[in-house]
Amino acid sequence: MISTERLAKSFCKDSAVVPVLTDITVQVGSGEFVAIMGPSGSGKSTLLHLLGFLDRPDSGTYLFQGKDLSAANDDALATVRNSEIGFVFQQFHLLDRISARDNVMLPLLYLEADDDCGDARAAAALEAVGLAHRASHFPAELSGGEQQRVAIARALINNPALILADEPTGNLDDQSGADVLERLEGLRQSGRTIVLVTHDRSIAERADRILLLEHGRIG
Amino acid sequence: MSRGWRLARHTAAMLTANRSRTFLMMLGLAAGVAVLSTVTMIASGTRRRVNDLVNKHGLDMLMVRAGGDVQVFAPTADRGIEALFESDARAIAEEIPDVRMISPVQNKRGITVVFEDRSHITRPFGVAPPWIDIRRWGVAEGEFLSDADMAGTTRVALLGAGVARRLFPEGGAVGRTIRVNGDPYTVKGVFIEMGVDAGGDDWDDRVVVPFTTSSRRLFGRPHLEQIVMLVSDPRRVAETAGKIRELLRVRHQIGAGEPDDFFVREPADVEGAALETSSTLTWLLFGVAAVALAAGGLVIMNLMLLAVTQRAPEIALRRAIGARVSDIRRQFLLEALMVALAGAVTGAVVGLGAALLLDALGLAAASPTWAAFALAILSCGIIGLLAGIYPARRAAAVEPAAGLGERKLA
Repeated sequence: MISTERLAKSFCKDSAVVPVLTDITVQVGSGEFVAIMGPSGSGKSTLLHLLGFLDRPDSGTYLFQGKDLSAANDDALATVRNSEIGFVFQQFHLLDRISARDNVMLPLLYLEADDDCGDARAAAALEAVGLAHRASHFPAELSGGEQQRVAIARALINNPALILADEPTGNLDDQSGADVLERLEGLRQSGRTIVLVTHDRSIAERADRILLLEHGRIG
Repeated sequence: MSRGWRLARHTAAMLTANRSRTFLMMLGLAAGVAVLSTVTMIASGTRRRVNDLVNKHGLDMLMVRAGGDVQVFAPTADRGIEALFESDARAIAEEIPDVRMISPVQNKRGITVVFEDRSHITRPFGVAPPWIDIRRWGVAEGEFLSDADMAGTTRVALLGAGVARRLFPEGGAVGRTIRVNGDPYTVKGVFIEMGVDAGGDDWDDRVVVPFTTSSRRLFGRPHLEQIVMLVSDPRRVAETAGKIRELLRVRHQIGAGEPDDFFVREPADVEGAALETSSTLTWLLFGVAAVALAAGGLVIMNLMLLAVTQRAPEIALRRAIGARVSDIRRQFLLEALMVALAGAVTGAVVGLGAALLLDALGLAAASPTWAAFALAILSCGIIGLLAGIYPARRAAAVEPAAGLGERKLA
């Protein structure tokens, strides 16, 4: 599913170049659940952004499902994000003014072809996260755990092969966090590949494998 | 449903969901459009009123006024200039073949008319019998002046509808005796109600007596304020006016290079002056509307620029779930366009209401016109697109990885 070799990424800060990731060589197999762990500032989120095509590496190669997309244009990468990858963020990133159902259906907006079954797929996605009865509620009417489950449903609606989760339990209480993790494990059991970023070892240990990131390098 | 159509529907839904922000964004443009459509409808109404006026005055009517100034609606002839005489009117009738009807006119403001214990200060006119046809007026009760009235210098008078109402609130004016400037006159008729003309003259506040009576008795002077006439061929009215000018210059012994001591008013002068009266105000209001529209556009642009910063996480999320750069750009352009068009429709409706209200209150002539709506929609569409271009470019430039670091979403 994912194969990187010597990925590197740096940012400019006050006209100085700050390396964030160096020599990242990672393989993640299809259906695998991998946790990327490391302290704050170790480059975990940056790595997740590179793996999700939200950012481009400065150097190195990245094969996604066996294909090198380093030369692909922004539109092609947007299509990959839309159809092959589902994102779950720490901050949920739901739109406040629209219902849970409409939030879940957002990725359908950017499909190439029309989807006549959008409502049914949104209902199924909400059902999968146990929130079918909250479909018409607005985010402010949902608990933090429920909002994150809506975000998971949104990540699922286009049936992606890869789920990238960035500290998905970081803003949740223990019980809600455990519930979200169970949902993610359930997705993995349905054949999806999960890459989860966390700084919490107890969460990372629920993955098949832990990649430890320190000072921008895999330890 | 195509991707573009889905995006348009979603954009409209998001604008509806963010009602207060949308309302604030469209407010400036709505105000501009309200003024613009009101002005357009008033301009259209004024044009129609002027056409009516010109038609009423007739394309075949010429008026000579005493005094050399340009006098269309505000005659200086009423200031006692001794330049025109009945003999001029007779000479025009005899020597200008195209003139088919003519009347000398005298008038004076501030004359008191009295019936029993009621009095009114008005403006008597002394005219000849053809005058009523030349001015395309009519008598509602009684009858107009006759040649016998002229020959006999009779003390008869016709009352404007307003004067009749004032002196005879219960009606029955015809045949009664009133006093005009202290002398008794028999009321021979009452005119049809006419109202105020484009020059601000109230035709219903007049008393008309035979010219001979006015010149020998009421005013006791030979000079005229006007000579009015109809020509046979309206297409040659300007040419006939030129001949009258030449004739009067000779009769008044005006040397080459010296200015006229009279003014010949042609139908085109009426139209021009009526439009000129309204055009200054119209252009001023157009200016106000243009400023309001530009300000409305700037409001939209600034609020959208602010929104781009606030909505960076939303934009980043959209990019993360598959939006292309062009989708983001299109969404922001559509937002600006939709807000502008909502402002256009709101403003046009408010403008229509304002124009109709002004019309109903008699403050302006308004004529609802599709042109006003078309102008509003078109101008707002353009303003919306222009106002949306820069924010759309800024929104499209938001990096997804950077934007997702923010917390709050719209």
